[in-house]
Amino acid sequence: MDPVPHPPGGHPARPGPTGTVRVLVADDEDDIRDLVTLAVRKAGCQVVTATPDGRAALSAARAQRPDLAVLDVSMPGMTGLEVCTALRADPATAGTRILLLSAGASPDEVARGLAAGADAYLAKPFTVAGLVRQVRELAVREPVA
Amino acid sequence: MTAAVLDRPRSRLLDVRTWQAAVSGPLPGTLMFSAAAVLLLAGSIPIVAPGFVHAGLALAVVATAVAWSARRPTAARRSLAVPVAHLTAVGLLYAGTSAPTMLFLLLGPLWVLATHPGRRGVPIAVAGTTAVLAVPSVVATVPATADLAGALLLGPLVVAVGSFAVNENTRRLATQARQIVRLQDEQAALLEQVRSRADELDTASRILTARAQTMTSVIDAVTEQSIIGTDRDGAIRVWNPGAEKMLGLLRPDVVRIRSILDFHLPEELIAAAEDSGSGSGLEALVHVAREQGSDVRDWTYVAADGTHRTVSVAITPRSDDRGVHAGWNFVGTDMTEARATERMKDQFVSLISHELRTPLSSILGYLELVMDDEDQPLTVEQRQYLTTVERNAQRLRLLDFLRGRTTGPAAQEAPLPGGTDHDDPVDVELMDRLQGIYADALPSRLAAIVRHTRAGDAAAVAFAASTLAGTSGQLGHPEVAWICRAIAADARRGVLAHSRVVRLHELAGV
Repeated sequence: MDPVPHPPGGHPARPGPTGTVRVLVADDEDDIRDLVTLAVRKAGCQVVTATPDGRAALSAARAQRPDLAVLDVSMPGMTGLEVCTALRADPATAGTRILLLSAGASPDEVARGLAAGADAYLAKPFTVAGLVRQVRELAVREPVA
Repeated sequence: MTAAVLDRPRSRLLDVRTWQAAVSGPLPGTLMFSAAAVLLLAGSIPIVAPGFVHAGLALAVVATAVAWSARRPTAARRSLAVPVAHLTAVGLLYAGTSAPTMLFLLLGPLWVLATHPGRRGVPIAVAGTTAVLAVPSVVATVPATADLAGALLLGPLVVAVGSFAVNENTRRLATQARQIVRLQDEQAALLEQVRSRADELDTASRILTARAQTMTSVIDAVTEQSIIGTDRDGAIRVWNPGAEKMLGLLRPDVVRIRSILDFHLPEELIAAAEDSGSGSGLEALVHVAREQGSDVRDWTYVAADGTHRTVSVAITPRSDDRGVHAGWNFVGTDMTEARATERMKDQFVSLISHELRTPLSSILGYLELVMDDEDQPLTVEQRQYLTTVERNAQRLRLLDFLRGRTTGPAAQEAPLPGGTDHDDPVDVELMDRLQGIYADALPSRLAAIVRHTRAGDAAAVAFAASTLAGTSGQLGHPEVAWICRAIAADARRGVLAHSRVVRLHELAGV
């Protein structure tokens, strides 16, 4: 597998066990999911799964053990918050870094996301540059113990 | 009845001064000399020397006339000339008649001298008596008697003792009379004061009654706002028709029976007590008004049927006529429908805004990818078209941003954080655009407030002013936000402050 390239103007993503930061993307909006996928790649990471369903995202996370999960809060099957809680509850996936995306931007909604175990919370509408910056920051962060 | 009693005139017969003047004045001498003249004219008393009699009567008449003609009785009474003249007249009559009967005429001047103020009259009386009794020894017309010496000895002695006794009693009586007069004068003055006070009290009572009737009629005329007055313990004393309508209880069922706390949610009072650090119950309700003089905020009233009403309540302390704190006034405007409408509107806008964010992310994100793709640069025309798309997408984002900053309690108060991410050029641009929109919209917003104020539409004024307060506060115009909040608070109490609207125009510079 190709080494993770150093993105221009940013920190290099911290390689996972395979040498690449592996990212799971889950959003029920196809356009947003594709956009996030592009942004993740722009950040120098590898998208291992891109799914529109929360339950599928949880299964993929358990199977593939990504380094980072970018989850939309509002998804069919399981919400991003529920997936986040489940990942944190499972010792096998508890170390996954999690970025929540949501159209909810109120302080209460942000607090609920962080309380569910997310490492970061990004409210829509976001810029690609902002998302790339956030993914890079999480990619170099130490996994949750 | 009191006035009738006070107005009753005092009889002159009860006036001590009337009797004093009559007895110590010229009256006794007049009566006695008149009687003597009658007896002499009637021939009851023989005249032995007409010259003495004529001289004596003439002197008596002149002295009596002088006594009566004196303009000031007290001055005449103090003068000893009249009784001395009368004594002389008695001596002349005694010499002219040689009748001992004439000696009875001595009683008049002797009485006057004995009752004369001070003690000077006593020796004059003794000397005069002696002189009169000595007439037989010096006038040939009067035969001297064998007991003349005894009369000259005993007569003055008796007169001296009697005059002294009368003088003492008279002076004591005079002192008492003066005291009585003084007391009568004081009594009259007191009665006058009482009558004056009674008149003032009557006037004040009528004024207070009129004021109370005016206040009652005004309070009763307010049917769309609740006006509740309590004592210091919260027991209800005033309950107007607006309160009856709002809370469903009639005045007789509430006044002096219920407490203001009966119409509040206990949990709301507990929360207020925790927020303000005050005591529970009534203290939680009136704490801010006690500290700041007034308090206007939303409270939940519980009506008689158990329904809850959101009421904007203005709480102020009430004082009695001596300025002592006597209780609390609660003027409430039912905001239930208005608040529900505001919530629905906010929820609707929030929902729309929420639904805008996802497509906005998509539009702006892909635009960003396309316009920043260095590998596939756009033509000038393509970049122009996409810039137009981006500008309009940013307008949608701006609307969402504005809604988030201008709705909800937190947004109403908190200014834009100084730590706004200025690294993000989009936020800076957004702020510039917001300021532009604010400046463009300000005249129409002010005009709306003026229009609603002139129309007397308090609810519309409150809403418009509250909205402008939030926007102004968020966009760095705290003075405009402050005056708008004051206008909104006034309007919620039903007060449309034209002067504040004028001030708002001045502050806004429009």
